[in-house]
Amino acid sequence: MVLLLLTGSSTDEGYGVYAPTPLELKIPPGWPKPASDIYANNKLTEQGFRLGKRLFYDGKLSRDGEVSCASCHQQFAAFATFDHDLSHGVNNTLSTRNAPGLFNLAWKPYMHWDGGINHIEVQPLSPLTAPNEMGETLENVINKLKADTSYKRMFKAAFGDATINSQRMLKAIAQFTGTLISANSKYDKVKRGEETFTPFEEKGYMVFKSKCAGCHPEPFFTDFSFRNNGLSLNRFNDIGRQKITRKSSDSLKFMVPSLRNAQRTFPYMHDGRIYSIPQVIEHYRSGIATEQPTLDSSLRNRIQLTNLEKNQLVYFIYTLTDSSFTRDLRYTPDGSNNVINPGFDKH
Amino acid sequence: MKPKAEHTICGYRLLLVVSVFMLAITSAFSQAGISEKGQGTLLIRFINTANGKPVVLTDSLYSNFFGEKYSISKLKYYISHIAVTTGNGKTNTWNDSYLVDENAGETSILINTDAGRYHTIGFLLGVDSARNCSGAQDGALDPMKGMFWTWNSGYIMFKLEGYSTASTADLQRIEHHIGGYKGADNVTTYISLDVKQPQSLVINPGETTELLLEMNLDNYWHDKNDIRIAELPMCMVTGEPALKVAGNFPGLFSIKEIHKAN
Repeated sequence: MVLLLLTGSSTDEGYGVYAPTPLELKIPPGWPKPASDIYANNKLTEQGFRLGKRLFYDGKLSRDGEVSCASCHQQFAAFATFDHDLSHGVNNTLSTRNAPGLFNLAWKPYMHWDGGINHIEVQPLSPLTAPNEMGETLENVINKLKADTSYKRMFKAAFGDATINSQRMLKAIAQFTGTLISANSKYDKVKRGEETFTPFEEKGYMVFKSKCAGCHPEPFFTDFSFRNNGLSLNRFNDIGRQKITRKSSDSLKFMVPSLRNAQRTFPYMHDGRIYSIPQVIEHYRSGIATEQPTLDSSLRNRIQLTNLEKNQLVYFIYTLTDSSFTRDLRYTPDGSNNVINPGFDKH
Repeated sequence: MKPKAEHTICGYRLLLVVSVFMLAITSAFSQAGISEKGQGTLLIRFINTANGKPVVLTDSLYSNFFGEKYSISKLKYYISHIAVTTGNGKTNTWNDSYLVDENAGETSILINTDAGRYHTIGFLLGVDSARNCSGAQDGALDPMKGMFWTWNSGYIMFKLEGYSTASTADLQRIEHHIGGYKGADNVTTYISLDVKQPQSLVINPGETTELLLEMNLDNYWHDKNDIRIAELPMCMVTGEPALKVAGNFPGLFSIKEIHKAN
């Protein structure tokens, strides 16, 4: 009877009282509320966030124990892969797409360049199980977590009991990734009246508003739509959105990426084929394959820019770099006070 | 022999009298808008068959309508929104999803329901759209079950894998992962079965009634649509071929037997 009472109690399983600290998704001033609440069925707590962060940085989630989410989503690169066109997976494999930066995901309606993922919680299933990414089975991941007492403690702290399952793991990861908010760049400070653009940046902002904002509107610097921006079909025959919808009208369309932190997320495009921001702008000025039937209508005549405007634009895009985000200790692994990942020069 | 037969007939008579009496009570309650008292249990057992025999994974060879020989290595499908309806239209619905998993030997669903006499049983073959797009699920819908697409979010509603000499795919395999929940791609199919004849589905308070439901794979290949292994050894994406397969879903299920479980 005493035993029953003890096990029946929700307060203790040997890891202390369940008392999660509520967290909230902080919506930056002037931003709209997310269209759908990614935390409607996933109560944000400090403990859930910390568990999510630990999972995000844990190589145990991969088959060889070496590849974590953070291997391809590095904080100093705004959670993209620094200096890699394609990301590395287990056993020296290469993926076929460029890892996007992770920030402001609570507003992103679909994940992946082709929008195939319909909810932030189920996104990790793809890299976890892809043979050229983390290459592990979900079952093995859960078994490895179950074998680790410290995880039991953290799951209990986050969810009230020590049960470890895929749903809880995925919800915890979403508590971390969904609260990665980047809204403190120079641009944001200018908008808040705390700083001013240089005249050159100001001119760049004007160029941006007249030539780029159609697809990259503020404050996210993307409209989250799928568009063909005139890149040729790559060596992986990646048709983009068409793979998901099977509509030929979606051929070569990819989700418009945010320009926030673009300075850190190079190389660019879905396959990382363009290395620098000036080269990206040059693509829009002179490189677009205008014969493609699904080319975005706004790019039929390419984008007309003078050399001066091009440079102004580059300097404006630099104002979207949020180094307080890439250095935010809340997002670094617990126990670390240095955001420069030791894996920085590994590859 | 004769006395025994008499006895049985008497037994039937008694049962009939009791039944009529109970029916009278039932209809009296129904008319008064009061449901039958008490809860009973419905045990639904799926019997997956091919060529008239229960499916044996891997080791047995089957033949479809077109004479294509095949073996089965994986057979799993989702059943959701089970509902039973009485003669006067009273419906009990359960919103859960269940995975009928021949590989795991999990082919039964146990649900508690109001006692009563039911005329139809229905269920959705598949997983409803809400559960396909509202994040990580658990239980039968845990992605660990191998029934969730990781590259194009959504559940595989019906999974059939095996081998066939008619298959032109690698290793002569059959891989049918039938899914799609959105708009025109939706393969989920509502199945409604009449349980009035020859037996009713009667759930008595405190008792368990077992309903044996046959899922006949012969109709998977040939019913409303013709699905030839030679033409469709692999079906791993949403859209046209999956919809064609799903066109045969309504003909897969039939009631085999209803009896009191001991």
